[in-house]
Amino acid sequence: MNSASAVIIGGGIIGTSIAYHLCKNGINDIVLLEKDYLSAGSTGRCGGGIRQQWSERPNVRLAMRSVELFNKFKKDIGMDIEYYQGGYLLLAFTDEEVELFENNVKMQKEEGLDVNFLSKKETAEKFPYINTSDVKAAAFCSSDGHANPHLATMGYAKAAAKRGARILTRTKATDIDVSNNSIKGVNTDKGYIKTSLVINAAGGYSHEVGKMAGIDLPTESYRHQIFVTEPVEHLMDPLVISFEKNFYIRQTKSGNFIMGQGDEDEKPSHNENPGWRFLTEMTEKMPKFFPFLKQMRVLRHWAGLYNMSPDALPIIDKSSEITDFYYAVGFSGHGFMLAPAVGEAMAEWIVHGETKHVDISNLNIERFAKGVTREKNVV
Amino acid sequence: MRRLTDHPILSFRRGKKITFYFEGQELKAYEGETIAVALHANGIKNLRKTPKRKRNQGFFCAIGKCSSCLMEVNGIPNVRTCITRVKEGMSVRRQQGRGEIID
Amino acid sequence: MTDLHVLIAGGGPAGLATAIEAGKVGLNVLIVDEGIEPGGQLVKQTHKFFGNENFYASVRGFEIAQELLKEISNMKNVEILPESTVIGIYDKGIPVLNRETDRVDLLKPERIVIATGASEKFLQFENNDLPGVYGAGAVQTLMNQYGILPGENILIIGSGNIGLIVSYQLEQAGANVKAIVEAADRIGGYEVHARKAKRLGIPILLKHTIKKALGITQVEGAVITEVDENWQMIPSKEREFVVDTICIATGLTPSVELVSQAGGNIKYIPELGGYVPERNIDMRTTVNNVFVAGDVSGIEEATTAMIEGRIAGLNIARDLSKKIDENRLNDLKEQIKNFRSGPTSQKVCSGLQKLGFTIEREKFVEKNDDDFKKYEGKKRPIIECPEPIPCNPCETSCPVGAITVGENINSIPTIDYEKCTGCGICVSKCPGLAIFMIQELLDSNKAIIGIPYEFLPLPQKNDTVYVLSRDGEILDTGEVTQVTDFGNKSPVVYVKIDREHIEDARHIKPVTHSRNDYVCRCEEITVEDIEKAIDEGYTDFEELRRYLRIAMGPCGGRTCRLNALKILSRKTGIPVEKLDPGNLRPPAVPTTFKTISEGSEKNE
Repeated sequence: MNSASAVIIGGGIIGTSIAYHLCKNGINDIVLLEKDYLSAGSTGRCGGGIRQQWSERPNVRLAMRSVELFNKFKKDIGMDIEYYQGGYLLLAFTDEEVELFENNVKMQKEEGLDVNFLSKKETAEKFPYINTSDVKAAAFCSSDGHANPHLATMGYAKAAAKRGARILTRTKATDIDVSNNSIKGVNTDKGYIKTSLVINAAGGYSHEVGKMAGIDLPTESYRHQIFVTEPVEHLMDPLVISFEKNFYIRQTKSGNFIMGQGDEDEKPSHNENPGWRFLTEMTEKMPKFFPFLKQMRVLRHWAGLYNMSPDALPIIDKSSEITDFYYAVGFSGHGFMLAPAVGEAMAEWIVHGETKHVDISNLNIERFAKGVTREKNVV
Repeated sequence: MRRLTDHPILSFRRGKKITFYFEGQELKAYEGETIAVALHANGIKNLRKTPKRKRNQGFFCAIGKCSSCLMEVNGIPNVRTCITRVKEGMSVRRQQGRGEIID
Repeated sequence: MTDLHVLIAGGGPAGLATAIEAGKVGLNVLIVDEGIEPGGQLVKQTHKFFGNENFYASVRGFEIAQELLKEISNMKNVEILPESTVIGIYDKGIPVLNRETDRVDLLKPERIVIATGASEKFLQFENNDLPGVYGAGAVQTLMNQYGILPGENILIIGSGNIGLIVSYQLEQAGANVKAIVEAADRIGGYEVHARKAKRLGIPILLKHTIKKALGITQVEGAVITEVDENWQMIPSKEREFVVDTICIATGLTPSVELVSQAGGNIKYIPELGGYVPERNIDMRTTVNNVFVAGDVSGIEEATTAMIEGRIAGLNIARDLSKKIDENRLNDLKEQIKNFRSGPTSQKVCSGLQKLGFTIEREKFVEKNDDDFKKYEGKKRPIIECPEPIPCNPCETSCPVGAITVGENINSIPTIDYEKCTGCGICVSKCPGLAIFMIQELLDSNKAIIGIPYEFLPLPQKNDTVYVLSRDGEILDTGEVTQVTDFGNKSPVVYVKIDREHIEDARHIKPVTHSRNDYVCRCEEITVEDIEKAIDEGYTDFEELRRYLRIAMGPCGGRTCRLNALKILSRKTGIPVEKLDPGNLRPPAVPTTFKTISEGSEKNE
């Protein structure tokens, strides 16, 4: 009764982007499974930044393609996702960072990105609301920006559904039925779906979904916390980020400031409960760089999962052991910004056997066998 | 306060549109309306200041009984405006106290 | 006018009915009426009247006035003098002031009928003289005679029939009646009128009274309070309403001034509204040539006023040597007795007893002993006539004779479902809007309900409408399957609803909102926004929340979450308890960076 050409597990931005792009490439007979509601997992909990300033060339290319697609999102998908190209400002606080940024900017310019290295003085003049006393320099790309991840997910899901995809929320994949190294179907808590192709886009639960097919993916989830302030009138254009000081902050279209940091002490888990220490650290740290925050109020505080890969870069590949078991996992906190290009590439690969717009071969799983070079531009 | 146009049961046949004045301000009314009704239609329900305690008053009964709608009309005080029709060019003023007779 | 036989003071239902009877036999009649247009209070009544078919039952008040006036306009010997007042009754004659010409004529009729009606009782509370405090009649004059809505948000004081009817009429005209306040522990008016108000969602606050009106130059609010068993205000139970209009509907008192001036005896009888003239069953006062009719003889109904007027008219005709149909006169007396024999007339009857009338209580059938349930699946009316009131249009309008009220007009109707064809005429005719059509669709969990609907806009077939409970709560949405117009402005709207709601669904309203029905105050999200999003497919509360930002504002969803969930439940049919209420995230109160960072305990 219930069958599909492909089953996508995960109703976050990656799953819905793949669903939309599969439909766009002619495969409409697909099912997307989401155990909760759309964007319930990491997507709905993320900061929503869209950045092209990466330290590795393939990542820059993937991100630039995503920005092209974000630019066309409203037209193509039919949803206003509050996309705002206010730029990304990367603050350098150490000499090492200054050097790294200089090199990165040079490489990124070669890739065609409109990015600039700013001196301390230029940074202070351009962004007067930032306390730049400890800032040594900065990198700024004006075509970076941010958008609303919920709306983007819902936009993709709606556009896919319009083209025939079945988006099943509150439907949990419980098992992948594999025999003779090929997929027969997917078991869910609402029934069985016959299919020969499964895409693991399960974000924080990618490892568990891999296990359903007997595949041990090298991904682990870590809690990352985030909060927003009460809304105020528009003040800040860019998303501001510091790797050294470990923070990012942006102002949403609604006026709330949303910010977060990484935590070295986190252990792998599926814990999504917010913790008090994060709040005290952030409220103490952030006003030092953004003095206007001091009197502002924290409105909502939550946590989500970073699905980490060994090198903090996504794993986009298919299984060598099981036919047509694809995965787009391990985004390490950067799934939202890469989702349009990843969804497009994944769909092209599945439908046409090759990607047409951007090369994702560097993101294969085999890379870990050769040793790991960790992406440096990560909070 | 507003004029009703559509009503599930009633249809309102209004007369010719006319102009009258309240405290010097030009207002519109329909022929056939009483002065107090025309004032209500223009958002005015405070019709007079009482003689003793200087209270603001409007009408209570709308049928000429309660005498709270006494106003000065064309210079004549103590006109029961709830049962007196409004006329083209009429000058209506809030009656202050008991009203003065001017010859 | 030379040779004036009858002068009638007052052109309301009683005066007009008197004039018709006197005019019919050729007497010269002059009706002196204060109003700009004659008809008295009838011209302001938009509801259908109770009573029997011979006396305009199921006809709306203003239409009754039109019919009476039309009959009079065909009589050359009956004249109406509008905008005129009988200013007294003197030894030399009766001076009549014409306001339009500002001229007084002294008239000398052979008989006088005082049909001056009543004036509104004024109620004492602080600032009760503020502009915006109106009598119920004033509200009706503005709204129904001149088409001017007195305000947008209204508080009604008094739950008698007038208070209930005016509330319903205000809502029909588009105003918002915040509450009906009633000092007694029970509703004063007919239960059917109360139900009409309740299903519009108007709360009726029993054992409450108004304490004061708020405002400087006009009403801006009202303070009401609960009263104890001794009618004393309980200060701790005060509450405030933001209203621009306070409508006092605490009753009427007969306007007996002219009776007294004519030398007639008056007597204080509270059951009849105050001082009333002494008079006999023929409506003659203690002065031989002076008659009374209508509310001046005791506060009652337009229907009884018209019967009294006719009785007075026939007696005057006989007085003045005209031949009258005695059977008809007796029949009228029977009818008024029959009309008053129900429990709703008990007060009037005890008042009349004090005037020396003997009142025999007739038997009426109280039990509505039908077998509605036995005919499940048949399209058929359910008659919710909860108390014996003098009324029978359901019986007389039924084309197949399936409904019986019987001899006594106060009896509760019974229905023969075998005979009933399901035409729905009774639904449209019932003056109490107390009959509904029901048909269970046996092959599904749905049912069709037919509701008399007197509001604009009239729903059309296939429209989705809200289905409201007897208390005006939204139960569900339903689809309009049919609209039947019987040409009397009470069309019957048939709506397909869940069968579980047939016991409670008694009203509908269109699924339209003003652009200002806010659910979420922080993010300024309206009912319409939420419904639109649900229609677009956002059927999980969290999806809705993320799409619209409901519950993402500074209040943390305290104001909006439950209401949004209720809308979601209504639209999806999933009970609230089965919906995921979404994430409730800390901090519970927005807290500044400074406060948090300076907190004492820094360890997790």
